[in-house]
Amino acid sequence: MAELTYASIDNTVIDTLAPPRRTYWATVALLFAGILLGATCWGYQIFRGIGVAGQNNPVHWGTYLINFVFWVGIAHSGTLISAILHLFRAGWRNPIARAAETMTVFAVCTAGLYPFIHLGRVWLVYYMLPIPNQRTLWPNFTSPLMFDVVAISTYLTVSSLFWYTGMLPDLATIRDRSEGLRKKIFSILSLGWTGEYELWRHYTRGYLFFAALATPLVISVHSVVSWDFALGIVPGWHTTIFAPYFVAGAIHSGLAMVLTLMIPLRKMFHYEAIITDRVLESVAKTIIFTGLIVGFAYGTEVFIAWYSRNPVEMESFYWRAFGDYSLEYWIMVSCNTIVPLLLLFKRVRTHIPTLFVISLFVNVGMWYERFVIIIGSVAHDFLPHAWGLYSPTLIEYGIMIGSFCLFFFLFVLFCKHLPSVSMTEMKETLHEGESHAG
Amino acid sequence: MPAESTSVMGLFRDETTAAATIQEMGAGDWHLERVHSPIPSHRIAAALNPKKSRVGWFTLAGGIIGFFTGFGLAAFTALRWSLIVGGKPIVALVPFFIVGFEFTILFAVFGNVVGLISQMGLPRPMRQRYDPHCSGDRFGLLATCDPSRRADLIAFFKERGAEIREFEPQTATA
Repeated sequence: MAELTYASIDNTVIDTLAPPRRTYWATVALLFAGILLGATCWGYQIFRGIGVAGQNNPVHWGTYLINFVFWVGIAHSGTLISAILHLFRAGWRNPIARAAETMTVFAVCTAGLYPFIHLGRVWLVYYMLPIPNQRTLWPNFTSPLMFDVVAISTYLTVSSLFWYTGMLPDLATIRDRSEGLRKKIFSILSLGWTGEYELWRHYTRGYLFFAALATPLVISVHSVVSWDFALGIVPGWHTTIFAPYFVAGAIHSGLAMVLTLMIPLRKMFHYEAIITDRVLESVAKTIIFTGLIVGFAYGTEVFIAWYSRNPVEMESFYWRAFGDYSLEYWIMVSCNTIVPLLLLFKRVRTHIPTLFVISLFVNVGMWYERFVIIIGSVAHDFLPHAWGLYSPTLIEYGIMIGSFCLFFFLFVLFCKHLPSVSMTEMKETLHEGESHAG
Repeated sequence: MPAESTSVMGLFRDETTAAATIQEMGAGDWHLERVHSPIPSHRIAAALNPKKSRVGWFTLAGGIIGFFTGFGLAAFTALRWSLIVGGKPIVALVPFFIVGFEFTILFAVFGNVVGLISQMGLPRPMRQRYDPHCSGDRFGLLATCDPSRRADLIAFFKERGAEIREFEPQTATA
């Protein structure tokens, strides 16, 4: 990064906030249309009842829970990059940390919608809050679903505060280079930050604590999500490997989404000098690592099912691989564990278009992983006469499209209105990889 | 600080020079009022030798309160409506510990935010005698002196390669 200077970093990032072109607004409009589609489908479901979705007996959890777990997973690597790699002083995370944190916040928001959608009678959502009714009936905190409410709410709050706190110095930088209304807006957002050493003294400690607290939180949240399944006595779910398996899978999918977002962003905003090939290559190497962990987990699940000699477990995993959802199973296996192995070749992981395509494969594979886990278990559990199949309805597809559009809509708006690269942390990178940590 | 003082800011391109200048000012008779920096510089920190921030105490207090709040909430709600648990404890330690853990993190972060806000004094109106370059690529050393020594202070900064930003003289309160 020898060619970068403080000024060039500021200029590059602030240039991205210039008034956008028509194609940008066309993209925003298209994504908004997708959100409207999703909202319409959800409205229809509220009006007609949850029966318009494809859930049935025995498959009570369908795409709503698949997408919930998928988006929570996507959220995780944002915190991995911004908090865990920060604690490890991995300098390569600085150029992508802001976008990854943003991805976290928006992904948790998107994920958080799904329990509401899945609830059907969404107006009863306050049942999940610790508010007693007239019979003093409270939420049951021994339920993993209540762990989830607490964990996801905490995660959204913590990641939003972490994101905003990390952005404060950059908001001040933009304020100092703006005029008119933008200056007023950024003056409010930056809270009067001036970069005084007295401010940095507290800020660096506070940021370090944020990272230190976010690290166990991120691991706990996806562990809690995994317990939604693992605490149920359902073949394919009731295993102790689920927590680490889900955490690894979450990071795997999140890193892939980072590439999916950062590669076009880098191209559009001319971030090549900031988000270098080396940065993307480092993400790719981490994907190899997480892919191997995920592959190991897949293998372990099958091995334990065989080793236990439990006929229900054996049947469950045999059916996953060779039954009605075998296509989905092999998409999962190939996209998540075999395709990422291509990144072992330097030529592959340094070829940006290929890297982008591989990231898409992993995203698809991780969505199917949730499909296989959720549908594949309840559709084929203990009682053969209660076996059943599931496929999403158009309403579910509409809501799913809406949620994807919501995520990208928020991200696209963010990119043009707030600094998508942390200028402060990039400047720190110029100083021998120093970071916010005090 | 003199009763009537004048302020001059030396703007440095280089963090090392800024840090060295801070140390020289400490040895000399200039009053260094504050230092602005676009990054949290360790060299400047070493030159200023500041006290450790107390934000961590807020974080710790928040975490402790959070754990007992979370665990207490789960235990209290279980005791208010006793589910039939088949001989297992009503106040179940393992699941309630999870709720306690999540609240620990949540409240610790709240404590952290309260600590940051209270210690940094944010939000606040924009500083007087501030140069916008300090959020970009300059390290700003704001020094005050008697108006009669203004030229000397400017010369001191210039000798060390700083650009100069002068401010109107003012009557100090301290």
